[in-house]
Order: sequence, then C-alpha cells, then structure tokens
Amino acid sequence: MTARPLLLVTAALALVAPGFATPGDETAAGHDAGNAAEHSEPELPPHSRAPHQVDVTVHDDAWLLVNDYDTFGELAEADPERFEFVEGLLEPKDESGEVIDTYDGYRDKTGRVELRYDPEAEDVAYFERVSAERLTRGHENYIQYCASCHGLEGDGYGRSAQHLRPPPRDFRVGKFKFTKVGVENLPSDQALVDLVKKGLDGTPMYPWALTEGQLLDVIQYIKSLSPPESGWRDVYAVVKGPVDIGEDPWTNDVQGAVARGEIVYHNVGCFNCHPGYVTPARIDEIVTGEGGIAKGSYREDLTLPKIVPNTMYQVQGYKTSILPPDFTWHSIRAGRDRQGNLSALEIARTVGSGIAGSGMPQWKGSMPDKDIWAIGYYVRHLIETYHGKPQARAALMSELRGGN
Amino acid sequence: MNRLVSLVSRARVRWLATPAALLLASTAASAQEVVDRWGPTPPASTYGPRFDSLFSLITTLIGISFLIVLVMLLVPCLRDNAKKGKKAHFDHGTSLHDKRFTAVVSVVVFIVLDAWVLVRAMGDLREAYWNVPAPDTPGIFKVEVLAQQWAWNFRTPGVDGELGTPDDVITINELTVPIGRPVVFNLTSKDVIHSLFLPDMRLKRDANPGAINVAWFEAAKSGDFDILCAELCGYAHYQMHGKLHVLPEADFPAWEKDASALALAAYDANDTEARWAWDWKE
Ligand code: HEC
Ligand code: HEC
Ligand SMILES: [Cu+2]
Repeated sequence: MTARPLLLVTAALALVAPGFATPGDETAAGHDAGNAAEHSEPELPPHSRAPHQVDVTVHDDAWLLVNDYDTFGELAEADPERFEFVEGLLEPKDESGEVIDTYDGYRDKTGRVELRYDPEAEDVAYFERVSAERLTRGHENYIQYCASCHGLEGDGYGRSAQHLRPPPRDFRVGKFKFTKVGVENLPSDQALVDLVKKGLDGTPMYPWALTEGQLLDVIQYIKSLSPPESGWRDVYAVVKGPVDIGEDPWTNDVQGAVARGEIVYHNVGCFNCHPGYVTPARIDEIVTGEGGIAKGSYREDLTLPKIVPNTMYQVQGYKTSILPPDFTWHSIRAGRDRQGNLSALEIARTVGSGIAGSGMPQWKGSMPDKDIWAIGYYVRHLIETYHGKPQARAALMSELRGGN
Repeated sequence: MNRLVSLVSRARVRWLATPAALLLASTAASAQEVVDRWGPTPPASTYGPRFDSLFSLITTLIGISFLIVLVMLLVPCLRDNAKKGKKAHFDHGTSLHDKRFTAVVSVVVFIVLDAWVLVRAMGDLREAYWNVPAPDTPGIFKVEVLAQQWAWNFRTPGVDGELGTPDDVITINELTVPIGRPVVFNLTSKDVIHSLFLPDMRLKRDANPGAINVAWFEAAKSGDFDILCAELCGYAHYQMHGKLHVLPEADFPAWEKDASALALAAYDANDTEARWAWDWKE
C-alpha cells in the first residue's frame, strides 16, 4: 500500500526535475524532435559535469610498461603462477616446433607479457597487457573516489580542485612529486600504492582506505592516462621503486646525525630555496665553497623560503609556482612512515630522490648516503622542535634575525 | 514455553545490566571523571555556556516529564489489573472527565516545555548565534571559508586586515584565530553541502554551494580544538576535519606577521585561477 505514494512522488520528481532522472531516460528529458535543439543542455566543461554523466566503460586493453628488463628475472621468479622457467634450451620449441618466446629463460603462461626492444636505446622493456575490464574497474573506482579533485578526465581539474594550490596531479602528464623513485623515473605500482595509502599531508590528498586490489586497479587506470612519449607506454622509460639509500648509519648517534645534517644542509645550499636555520655568521663558517654554492653570495632574507615559479604543474594552461616549505612552519607532504610517525628515512628518501618538476634536485649521487641520512635526521629534528610550537619558533626566528 | 522462560530471564538480565553497569562505573571513576569522559567538552567560546544551559534545561524538563509519564502509566497498571475477584478495568478514555484531563495536560506541557524552551532558545539565537557583529565593528577577525570535497579552505586577512590581498593567510584544514576577538565567518562551498562544526565553540553552520552563510564566535579559551564537517558530503566525509588554533593575545601578532610574510612569499600575482576571495557579506 505504501508503495503507491512513493511511486507518485518519484514520478512527480521525474517530471518537474529532469536532474533527478538517470541519463538516457527519454521520458524525463521529454523533448520532441522539433524542439531538440532548444531543449538540449549546453555542453558543460568537464569540471562542472556530474559523475553520473560519465561512461566508465573502457573499451581497449592497454599495454603498460611494467619494468626494466634488468629486474625481469626477479619479477618472474616471484610469480610462478605466471612464469615458467624453461631450462637448458637456447631456443626452446613447443610440440609443433614453434619457437616459444622466453624472456630471460622464462615463459609467460598467460600471454599478457610483451618485451619490446628499442635499438636506439639498446634497451628492452617489459610490457604487460592490462585488460579493458580491469581498466573499467579502475575507472569506476577512480570516478567514485578521486575524480572530484583529479577531474573526470584525469586532467587534475575536478569540481573540487578549483582554486586549490597545490593543484591535484594531472594524470595525463605522467610526472609525480613524492613517489621517491628519482626525478627521471616512473614509480612502480607499489610506490604508488604506498603514496595513495599514506596521502600527502597539508593537502586534501588524504590517506585513502581502499583495498589493495581497488588501489591497484585505480593505479592501472591512472597509468593508462599517461602520454605515449613520457609515461608507461614509452620503451625508454624506467620504472623504479623507492631510491635505495642503504642502512641507517646513524642508529646509535642521532645527535651526531642532526649535527652533521645541519652542516650538510647549509653547505650544499638547501637555503637557496628553503630557509636557512642558522645565523648568517654560522652559515659563513659552514660553507666550504665545494658543496655546490659559493661562499658569501647568499639570498637576501634567509628566514623566508624562495618561491619556485613556472613549474610543470599546470592549471588550465598556467604553470603554477611552488613555495618550498619552511620546515618549522609548513607541514611536509611525505615525511611519515606507514605507522604515521615522522621518519628520518622517509625524509631522506625524498631528499635523495628529489621532487620532480619542483626544482628540488635529486641529491642521491651528489653526496654520500650517510649525509643524506643525516639531512633526514636534521629535517625531522627541525619539524619536531619547532613545527606547531609558536613560542619555540618565535625564539629561533628572533635569533636568526639578530634579535628583531 | 521454554522460549518464554528464556525471554523472561533474558529480560531480567537486561534489567539488571543497567544498574550493574552504573554501579561499576561509579566505583571505577568519580562522577567528574564520568562527565569528563562521556560528557560534552567544556565550552570554549563566550556564548558556549548559554547553549549548554539551554541543553541542560531541555534535558531536565524532558527528564521530569518522562518520570511523570512513567508514574502515570505504572500506577493504573498496578492498581487496576486483574486480581482475585476483580476484573481488569478497561476504558477508552472518551468521558468528558478524561477529555478535560487530556486538554489540561496538553496545555500544561505546551506552556512548561515548548513555550519555555522556545522563548529561551529564541533569546539565545537573537542575542548570541544570530547576533553577528557588523563588518565594520572594530576588532573583529574575518574569515572566509571555502568548503570542498573533502577539505576546509580558510582565508584570513593577514596583517593588513583586508581580505582579498596578497598577504591573506590561506590554509587548508587549519585555522588560527586570536582569543577574545569576535571571529566572523563567511562560508560557502565549491561542490556539495558541507557544515562547519566547531564543537568546542558550540558553533555549527552549513556551507552551501552558490550561497554565502554567516556565522561567528568569540573564543574564551586558547588551545587546539577540532574542526569537523557535520554534513555527510561523500566518501571521504569522515576525513574532512581540521584543527582550530586559538592563540593567546600575546602570541597572535607575531604569528600573524610571520604567516603574512610567508603568504607574500608564496603569492604568485599571475596565478589568477588561485584567487577565491569574495565581497564580504553581512
Ligand atoms: C580532495 C582532493 C583529492 C582527492 C579526492 C584525491 N586527490 Fe590525489 N591529489 C590531490 C592533490 C591536491 C594532490 C597534489 C599534492 C601536491 O602536489 O602536493 C594530489 C596528488 C596525487 C598524486 C600524485 C602524487 C605525486 O607524487 O605527485 C597521486 C598519484 C594521487 N593524487 C592519486 C589519487 C588517487 C588514486 C585518488 C583517489 C583514490 C586521489 N588522488 C584522490 C588531491 C586529491
Ligand atoms: C631549487 C629549489 C630547492 C632546493 C635547492 C632544495 N629544495 Fe627542497 N623543496 C623545494 C620545493 C619547491 C619543495 C616543495 C615541493 C612541493 O611540495 O611541491 C621542496 C620540498 C622539500 C622537502 C619536503 C618534502 C615533502 O615531503 O613535502 C624536503 C624535506 C626538502 N625539500 C629538503 C631539501 C633539502 C635537504 C635540500 C638541500 C639538500 C633541498 N630541499 C633543496 C625546492 C628546493
Ligand atoms: Cu564535508
């Protein structure tokens, strides 16, 4: 009995408010052929379209770069379901005499792997076919959880992304800031899963509590948006996990690490962009002239960070600027470990790998790992001592400004 | 029959459970601890105590009427039920006497409960919640709030005291305000309806797309407090929270000066899409 009023209400709603009806509902749209032009809604820009107006079906499989040939053996060994080691034959043949494709002696049992050789780069890369169904699942989850910011089309300009700085990532560019894999490399699936699970502090990019499976699907979809020349479709590209900075050399000497970190931080000139955290006189003592910056020629006000203009992170065609964080004031994006604690390792990894497109260089290789670790400890120390502690910070700043 | 017995005994267990729990609670913790743990956080705004006392008034009035109703239900049940040699009395309550009784009770309930609470609540609304200081009131601290899925964007004027200028302090999920100055909000939303909820300040106000809502409070305590979204706004609604920092008078000017200097350092004059200040609404 109660069904009837409900039905009536629904019918009334459908008549007065076409917005309530599902797309493709002819009766609700209610236009006759003659008036079609008048009635048809104007084409909305993507950022003001509603998610239900998007067709989530992906029709084509995508071939996506999985890894460099170098690491293929490890991958294959870890996945016996899929790869079979064909022993002892130089050119293995199946029963009918056809040569079987093997990669590093492994045979792919699923037909989803392809090795591509690029003669110019003299490089072989390992591609995987990601099915259209999987991409569709990824797209569905993407629309549900990520599109409000990253845009219905992955362009980083969703309805909720308007005026937002830093802007959400534009996935059609294929560049990432905090995956810690080195500025030239593409992040591995696991690096992306980790990043999305942990989120980026100080931005609306929160830790996402999706299942590992959902995340992997979303990530395949995101990868499929990358351009042919610079993303997961490019033979030249290199997919890497987080940069390796070795074992922690400072486990028994945290204070030593902080002291060393202070010296390295100021000697290599991190204060060219970030603030300096010792007095100008002390900087002069520290700088040797061999760390990367010349003695005596420093920015004017070292208590303020210096903005990096024209970065590759664009909004509607405009290249946005990024302010390097003042560690005693701003929150850093990717400084926490999986347990949520501020971690010298995570900070050191960011410093070691650099932040692509933000001007923040990759320091791995230009200083010993031990110093990178020391910087990790030093930055963690700055954050723990001054961040969110107005009085302690004010005291430090007044010291740096010479009592003003 | 068995089922009936088990039902009865289960009901008895439940009847016993409440007093037992209360007894346990009272031995384990003092009344103050119980209030601290389970009660509302103490009010941290100047008008907070008003709303708390309204809340207590409503709770007391409802509690008393609940007890009266309970007694009035129990008495006839015990008095008029069937006993040996006496048949239970059944009555539709349609006699003139009963109708008069019902009418009197209704009027009394309306006057004592509804009218009293209405008058008190209207007073609180008019004198506190709706009594938003005019924009030219000296000393007010203006905040523009732009809600989105799923974050709070705040804009405060910075040292020049003007909104919409390069030294505006723009923050995400964090708001720093001075103690003892009226903080006036202009709220709106980019996408769906959100609701700005500062539980310690006893303030809650919707942020609607396409409209600017006004709200205010004045902090009476310094410290860090919660900022929540009180309107289900999509998948990550539960993550849409932030921190309100109320700074003591002595610390605020220094904080504001540094915040403005950093805002100026971050300002990109050509990035027009990043602008979102609006004309202040009274
Ligand atoms: C509320 C807005 C919002 C939502 C929703 C959101 N993101 Fe983000 N995301 C951001 C912002 C803002 C950034 C850029 C942060 C920065 O540059 O510091 C970002 C950056 C990223 C990055 C790039 C990180 C890097 O290293 O460059 C990835 C990958 C990402 N988001 C994935 C996702 C996924 C997957 C989802 C859905 C599960 C999602 N995001 C949902 C706001 C959002
Ligand atoms: C050319 C300018 C530049 C230099 C030099 C530079 N950085 Fe950065 N750094 C940046 C920028 C810009 C960001 C912010 C990136 C963002 O949030 O998008 C940043 C961010 C960081 C972060 C925060 C990472 C996070 O998780 O948010 C750390 C830590 C850091 N830098 C450390 C250093 C150290 C240590 C040095 C010196 C060894 C250094 N930087 C040198 C520009 C620079
Ligand atoms: Cu919300």
